[in-house]
Amino acid sequence: MTLQLVLIAAAALFCVGLYGALSQQVVVMVMMGLELMLNGVILAAAAFWWFLAPTPDGQVLLLVVIAAMTVEMAMGFAVATLLHRSRGSDMTDSATDLSG
Amino acid sequence: MLSTIVFSVLAVIALASGIAVFRVDSMARATYALAVSFVAVGALLLMFDLDYIGVITILMMVMEMAIMAIYMIMFMGMNPALMPMSMVHNKRWSAILAVGTFLLLAGGALLVPWPARSGSPATDLTASLGEAIMGSKMLVMLTVSPILFATIVAALVLANPRGRYDRWGDDLQRARPDDPQQGGLGK
Amino acid sequence: MSAAAVNAIGVTSLWLLVGLPALGGIALCITGQRANRMAVPVSLGTAGVTVVSAFVVAFSRPAVEVPFLAGAPFGLAVDGLSAMIVPTVAVVTLAVLVFSAAEGTEAPARFHGLMLIFAAAVAVTATATTLPALLFAWEIMGAMSYALIGFRWREDFRVTAGLTAFITTRTGDLGLYIAAGAALAGGAGLGLANLAAAPSPWRDLIAAGILMAAFGKAAQLPFSFWLSRAMEGPSPVSALLHSAAMVAMGGYLLLRLAPLLEITGWAGPTAAWVGAVTALLLGAVAVAQRDLKQLLAASTAAQLGFVVLAAGIGSVAGGTAHLIAHASTKALLFLAAGAWLSALGTKQLSALRGAAHRWPLVGVTFAVGALSLAGVVPLSLWATKDEVLAGALEASPLLYVVGLAAAALSAAYAGKALVMVWRRPLSNARDEYDTEQPGTRHVGGWERIPLVVLAAGAALSGVLALPPVGNWLRGELGAQSDARPGLLELAGSAVLALLVLGLVAWKRMPQLSWAENWLGLEQATRVLVVTPVLSLSERLACFDDAVLDRGIHAVAREVVRGTRGLARFDDRGLDAAVTATARAGVRAASVAGAADTSGVDAAVEAAARTARLLGSAARRPQTGRLHQYYAQITVVLAVAVVLLLVVR
Repeated sequence: MTLQLVLIAAAALFCVGLYGALSQQVVVMVMMGLELMLNGVILAAAAFWWFLAPTPDGQVLLLVVIAAMTVEMAMGFAVATLLHRSRGSDMTDSATDLSG
Repeated sequence: MLSTIVFSVLAVIALASGIAVFRVDSMARATYALAVSFVAVGALLLMFDLDYIGVITILMMVMEMAIMAIYMIMFMGMNPALMPMSMVHNKRWSAILAVGTFLLLAGGALLVPWPARSGSPATDLTASLGEAIMGSKMLVMLTVSPILFATIVAALVLANPRGRYDRWGDDLQRARPDDPQQGGLGK
Repeated sequence: MSAAAVNAIGVTSLWLLVGLPALGGIALCITGQRANRMAVPVSLGTAGVTVVSAFVVAFSRPAVEVPFLAGAPFGLAVDGLSAMIVPTVAVVTLAVLVFSAAEGTEAPARFHGLMLIFAAAVAVTATATTLPALLFAWEIMGAMSYALIGFRWREDFRVTAGLTAFITTRTGDLGLYIAAGAALAGGAGLGLANLAAAPSPWRDLIAAGILMAAFGKAAQLPFSFWLSRAMEGPSPVSALLHSAAMVAMGGYLLLRLAPLLEITGWAGPTAAWVGAVTALLLGAVAVAQRDLKQLLAASTAAQLGFVVLAAGIGSVAGGTAHLIAHASTKALLFLAAGAWLSALGTKQLSALRGAAHRWPLVGVTFAVGALSLAGVVPLSLWATKDEVLAGALEASPLLYVVGLAAAALSAAYAGKALVMVWRRPLSNARDEYDTEQPGTRHVGGWERIPLVVLAAGAALSGVLALPPVGNWLRGELGAQSDARPGLLELAGSAVLALLVLGLVAWKRMPQLSWAENWLGLEQATRVLVVTPVLSLSERLACFDDAVLDRGIHAVAREVVRGTRGLARFDDRGLDAAVTATARAGVRAASVAGAADTSGVDAAVEAAARTARLLGSAARRPQTGRLHQYYAQITVVLAVAVVLLLVVR
């Protein structure tokens, strides 16, 4: 369990999430992709903390990332709900313009 | 040795379930796959002696997945027939981009000369984290909490179909509330 | 009445005398045929007013002067001589107009209009004090004479006759222009009274000019033939113009300028001899005539010869008296001849045989006039002729003898006419009538009244030459020192006249063939003057065509060729240069334009296009698609990281 290995794994997770965020049409699926990306980020951050500087301050960063993830989720779902109400659709393609 | 193997297994599980999120046909199953991925990552965190963070990751993510499942079903409906759902666009370019990014990151991970470990973890990581939060990192927490509170309020406001301004007018002076179902119940 | 009032009346009457007939005549002539009905009343009224004005000015003796040309004023005045002449002419004019109104003329408006204008011109001539006024009226008299002689213009020979008369008198009028020019050159001014004071060489030129003009107008030799041609006009015209008025003005001019003739040594005798010879020769011509009017015309020239003789010898009183007496006598005779012409349609003496018996009044008045013309006691022309001859006797006995012979000839021709008309008419007299125009066989009452008036004048005017009235006349004219005829001369001439009359009545008249054709004067003039002048003018015209005209044309052609050459040079040289310059300018402009379009403009356009492209390119990432935004972010981040790593 070296840093590189963990980082590669985290990178792989991140890229899978990226692929999903880029290719999915449904908003919720995109959010899932974003979740995966944040997942990878958490893993990488933990690896960095453990292998480079295992101070308690580093954990705070992880907490912040998790909080960010939470916030993002909440706002994302709220917007998805609003989008669904106004456009009647849950596709990102139908939200390309600001009108309505 | 054992740690490497456990790590590898957990990493593979996380990756596989991550990929499975986008390949399964049902919304619920996608959600569960994501939950599994998160659990695996939480377990990995536990391996790093990050007990508290690992546990809350698992807890939070599972709850989140449950909520996400609700939303999925709300927006996209139950798919009992489990028809193949492949609603993607720009698959090729996304794949290329993802692979490119992976290569970039992996290359960076491998090629960058990481510095040596500069400290050692505390004996009770949770206690030290608690102390850090309440002590030197109080400012961070002070910042995060209003953000979370704002998030709650904002989410409620955004999600509210009909607020009191819709019912009582922009200056709240309307005589009678403007409801689709008259009767004062606010529906 | 105060002197100023008298003067005002006089001046007004003078202007009336001159202006009223002029205006009336011009108005009638201009109005033309539309005024035919009004012509006679207007004319007679105007003539009546003229008579009254004539007597008024004769008594009040006014003088007026108006500016006319520069340094040549228009002056009218009535002195002793004019005071005698003007009423005479006015009365004769009225009588003639009454006669012609009663006889009837064609186109009365034109006839009376012309006659009135003539009357105005005569009034101006008789009262003129400056040469411009005289010349002005002189020429108008000549023009009116031409118009009236050719009055019946549809007959060409009458118009030709008028033309001959006009040109002949006009040639004489050149003398007046010469006199005016000499007077101006001599510095004597153009006043008639000052002409005698002109310096010596100019004085002779003036006198020569005056003589020429007077002889021309008075039908003296060698101008006499025009009077013969003038008889083609209507009889009233002959009665007024060619007996009493126009020809008399020739004599009047000489009487007026008698002092001038006296001062120049040669002009007086020349005038006297020309007058005497004319009286003699034209007396013979009159005797030879077979046409009554031609006879009377020749007699006019002869009697005016007496007047010219009187002016030449300086006997102004005699000349004036003779002029007045002759005016009424000759007017009477011409009117009677006119009455017979319109009644019987002929004026040949042989055809008029016994015409006096048909209309006794006409015959008697004609007899009175003829006897007066013959110089029978106590009728007018006897006494006046003797006054003239008395002066001739004083000047030169030869002149007296010639004058006496002329007086005898006048008795002869007067007797010829008198005897013929009082003869018993032949039974086939009617065959001779209507040869010249259809006769009306009628002589109206109003035609006879003027005859009576003029007969009274013819009979009684002799008193002007005899002591009581004659002395008054001499006083008026300032001619107290003129010769008076002695009792012997008076008796002698009376006896001579009666003898000749008796001879004519008893014997046949000899036919003087050489005198019948008016001494061949017209043919002589035609050969000597007219033909050479016309052929000379033809030669000059040919010369001009052949030489001058051709020269000018050649010059013009050269000029045109020159200009054409210049035009060609201009087209090929200057014009081409200008056009080439213009074209070069245009080409330079188009080159500059192209450079601008392809260079500067293209650069600017390219810049704008690039900006537009960049702008539209910048819009491309704004797709609104979430995944594309993520992709863009990813790429940008990766690039930034790489950059950061590379730079660090």
